[in-house]
Amino acid sequence: MKSALLAVALGVGLSCALGVRLWPMPQAAASGSTKLALRANFTFETEFESPCLRRAIAKYRDLLLIHEPWDFGTDGQGVTTLHCLHIAVGTEDETLQLETDEAYVLSVPDDGTCAVLKAGTVYGALHGLETFSQLVIYDFESHQNILPGAPWFIDDYPRFPHRGLLLDTSRHFQPVSVIQRLIDSMSYAKLNVLHWHAIDSQSFPLESTSRPKLWTGAWSPTERYTKLDIANVVQYAKASGVRVMIEFDLPGHAASWCDGYPDVCPSDECREPLDPSANATYELLTDLLKEFTGGAAEQGILPENLFHLGGDEVNTYCWSSTSRIAKWMEDNNYTTDDAYKLIVDRAHQLVSSFGRFPVNWEEVFLHFGEQLDHRSIIHVWLNHDTLAEVVAAGYRGILSNSDSWYLDYLNTPWQNFYLNEPCEAIWKQEDQDRVLGGEVCMWGETVDASDLFSTVWPRAAAAAERLWSAREVCDTTEAELRLAWFRCLLASRGIGAAPLRNGQARAAPPGPGPCTTQ
Amino acid sequence: VATQTFRWVRVHQHQTDFMERGRQLLALLCAAVACVGAVNLWPQPQQWSNGTGTLVVPPTFTVITDSTSKILENAIAKYMNLMFVHEPWEAADKRSAVVQLPSLEILLNSDDETLQLETDETYWLTIPVDGSAAIIKANNVYGALHGLETFSQLVVYDFPSHQNQISNAPWSIADYPRFQHRGLLLDTSRHFESVQVIKRVIDSMTYAKLNVLHWHVVDSQSFPFESQSEPNLWNGAWSPSERYTHQDLLNVVQYAKESGIRVMIEFDIPGHAASWCAGYPTICPRADCKEPLDPSVQDTYNVLHNLFQEITGGSQGKGIFPENLLHLGGDEVDTTCWSTTQHIEDWMSQNNFTTDDAYMYIVEQAHDMVSSFGRYPVNWEEVFNHFGSSLDSRSIIHVWLDHATLAKVVAAGYRGILSNNDVWYLDHLWVPWQDFYMNEPYEGIDDAKQQTLVIGGEVCMWGETVDASDLFNTVWPRAAAAAERLWSPREVNDTEAAQPRLMWFRCLLNARDIGAAPVLTAEGRDAPPGPGDCYAQ
Repeated sequence: MKSALLAVALGVGLSCALGVRLWPMPQAAASGSTKLALRANFTFETEFESPCLRRAIAKYRDLLLIHEPWDFGTDGQGVTTLHCLHIAVGTEDETLQLETDEAYVLSVPDDGTCAVLKAGTVYGALHGLETFSQLVIYDFESHQNILPGAPWFIDDYPRFPHRGLLLDTSRHFQPVSVIQRLIDSMSYAKLNVLHWHAIDSQSFPLESTSRPKLWTGAWSPTERYTKLDIANVVQYAKASGVRVMIEFDLPGHAASWCDGYPDVCPSDECREPLDPSANATYELLTDLLKEFTGGAAEQGILPENLFHLGGDEVNTYCWSSTSRIAKWMEDNNYTTDDAYKLIVDRAHQLVSSFGRFPVNWEEVFLHFGEQLDHRSIIHVWLNHDTLAEVVAAGYRGILSNSDSWYLDYLNTPWQNFYLNEPCEAIWKQEDQDRVLGGEVCMWGETVDASDLFSTVWPRAAAAAERLWSAREVCDTTEAELRLAWFRCLLASRGIGAAPLRNGQARAAPPGPGPCTTQ
Repeated sequence: VATQTFRWVRVHQHQTDFMERGRQLLALLCAAVACVGAVNLWPQPQQWSNGTGTLVVPPTFTVITDSTSKILENAIAKYMNLMFVHEPWEAADKRSAVVQLPSLEILLNSDDETLQLETDETYWLTIPVDGSAAIIKANNVYGALHGLETFSQLVVYDFPSHQNQISNAPWSIADYPRFQHRGLLLDTSRHFESVQVIKRVIDSMTYAKLNVLHWHVVDSQSFPFESQSEPNLWNGAWSPSERYTHQDLLNVVQYAKESGIRVMIEFDIPGHAASWCAGYPTICPRADCKEPLDPSVQDTYNVLHNLFQEITGGSQGKGIFPENLLHLGGDEVDTTCWSTTQHIEDWMSQNNFTTDDAYMYIVEQAHDMVSSFGRYPVNWEEVFNHFGSSLDSRSIIHVWLDHATLAKVVAAGYRGILSNNDVWYLDHLWVPWQDFYMNEPYEGIDDAKQQTLVIGGEVCMWGETVDASDLFNTVWPRAAAAAERLWSPREVNDTEAAQPRLMWFRCLLNARDIGAAPVLTAEGRDAPPGPGDCYAQ
């Protein structure tokens, strides 16, 4: 925070008063009334040598030049011209993890001197570039890029460190080119986590070099990700400031594992949950988790510290009805819940030994509560109220309550996404601090490449503002105009966000009309 | 992709025997319908032969050409990216008996990059199995672009071996389009489509070898188009930002040209023109009765003249739209506003004009203008239905109401384009791909000379319920069905045989980040019904 003055400028009515068209709303912003014109050969300047920043500058230069401005030389027809944006980054450390500092400060003076973007890390700078790009508007009358409202002073940082989108590539495969464009679109809304629900009961598209038969569970020979594809996605995401948290949803949603390794499943007819009684199961898990983590913190193909192990919807019928497993439980005096806990614990131990924090869906907390390792992070989806219990018990939590944050629920309007307050009924500061953030979930039963973007956007953006902006920014009437504008910004950037005002998500526009009113 | 290397080598081009070898090749090939076996190519080539061998396309694979064409250079870069989405492993196993394809050579017979209806799009592609280079020969760069697309469809990443492969080699393909005009109509008036989106549409068209973007840029609802000569016209845009600048238009045309796609602009006059009044109210009958454009006032003809002069540059091959065909619309002209506006009524009676005469008058004036600027006027079917053989012989008629009209158009000696709405309107969501596929342009036209007047067809993406969010899944995969009808031999018309190929092509589009909808759903752009395999939905 720069000053107390700014904190005063903050708040609910801010955007209306200032005419701010930014999404998500910055934490603190002050603006004036001067209109600047960006010079045709506007430059981005930095002394900071970083391929990531260089790529981002090229990307935002392209986005700013969608409509080519006319060159009036140095004189912007009587309007003050803005020549440059100077970018300063505090550290060369490009580690991207939950703790990464994403704050930035952007000032745009009204006297024609360079705008200045300062950030602690390159990832903060990326957010600042996005904000800057949203301030610039192409004026079709003067054929110039205009930056209204100068001088600007924006001091911004996310409210929550974990702002995610779950992508399910098991119910339908999503090609790498689609995932990359999805990552692009996430960066426009300052989302920073791609929760890659890569595999599920229906298909196993991931290549494992230690367990090369696993991807025989893919839908088809070509609907698969090679190790290099996975590495490319992680690399692409990192360059966009997006962490990739992979999920292996076990033991419940795992029938597709049996195609390659039938030994880890109860039987051919009853395939999931994974067999907790077989050594083969644990050997496979060990190999797989070691491979994907590189066996040590921040190593491997997925350096992300959080590792999602699923754990939801474990129906133990196949255990009780498979005599081998039933006998094993009886011999060990295990209930089905004990067996469930055994496999969860083993997976926790494995990923912890590889320097990761295990994340599990809510059921794991509901079943085992405070018996869980304190490193565990609980991902709430059934009931928002559970989150308060999770953090009160000292665990960290992520929110994705299905009633408001499931994108495949086409009936949920954007307002419900917007007003879903993670800290609802969580009063103590230390408890609130354990709420890492939230995710919107794009379960893929009826989503493939043809309807992904229109199902995700614009509703994911509503949640993105909830997770980034101040808690007090919660007026849907005010937000609607900005969100309608943001959806048109997405469309202008080639992202097929659906109309905002349809009865159902991803419905076609009802008739001819302008982008902003539909 | 990073492991791909580019090596630009100037090779000696044996132009002398170029055409002769092409002819020999053709003679050796089987007729398309006689060839059997699963060949995943869309649209199906005119003629080919293939074998049973498998080639590896190694990471060291290069594309070689002696052409200095910038268009070709960009296309090679584009296809290297598309072909090598999954990074191949270094060819580790030297014991392997598998033959490697070292390179692809591209030979162009001409460096003329003019792109018009008459442009020759033929290419020959040979892929030997003896370890020598594959060769694409074409008479110009646009044929080579199609050859590259075909080559890219033959390269398949084999996941178990982590290698790019070509199956069923050797290949000899001699290919050219059945029709010269293979279009997609894009309506940017009912909803604005951003330049970014239009560029992706153009990309996707090249994958199906479509070659005309019919840009229905303005209509009654909005006028997003910047005219520098009539600068108030784009006051009729939906909103201040939903507009195309002059430079945007140039960029789209240039981007399309580099993709081998002609851009045929349409100004739909006089009927679908209410949006013109926002900038120039004097060219419309009345504020409360805006269209058709007022045929009685000079202002109307001044605006048309200035606009057409601007976009055509005033002479053939010039201007923003160098395309020889200029679409003037002319459909659905409801003359009520003329009959109910006093000064227009007076003008008609002074000239002893019926409403049809007035309609004919404005159509002819527009024809004269675009003809004087070296263009061929294209009109929707009604213009032929109303005025028949009295139309200028340069006129081209675009049939949409009734397929059967096309036979009358060509019998009268006019050239025609087919877009019958019962099967080639993409906004008709209930029309299945099979109907798009089986729509035969020559139906009812048996005279060979008349057949040559059918220049092709277009699928129409009217935009009432289509914006950036549902454009691609409404267009694809159904547009691809029409694309094969327009490219491949007439005899390639078995929907059962086509279906697995079309489903494969739809998955290829998805892999290239084009959101083509499932093939087997009941209606266009339906969501997939449940979890499943791309190739099965």
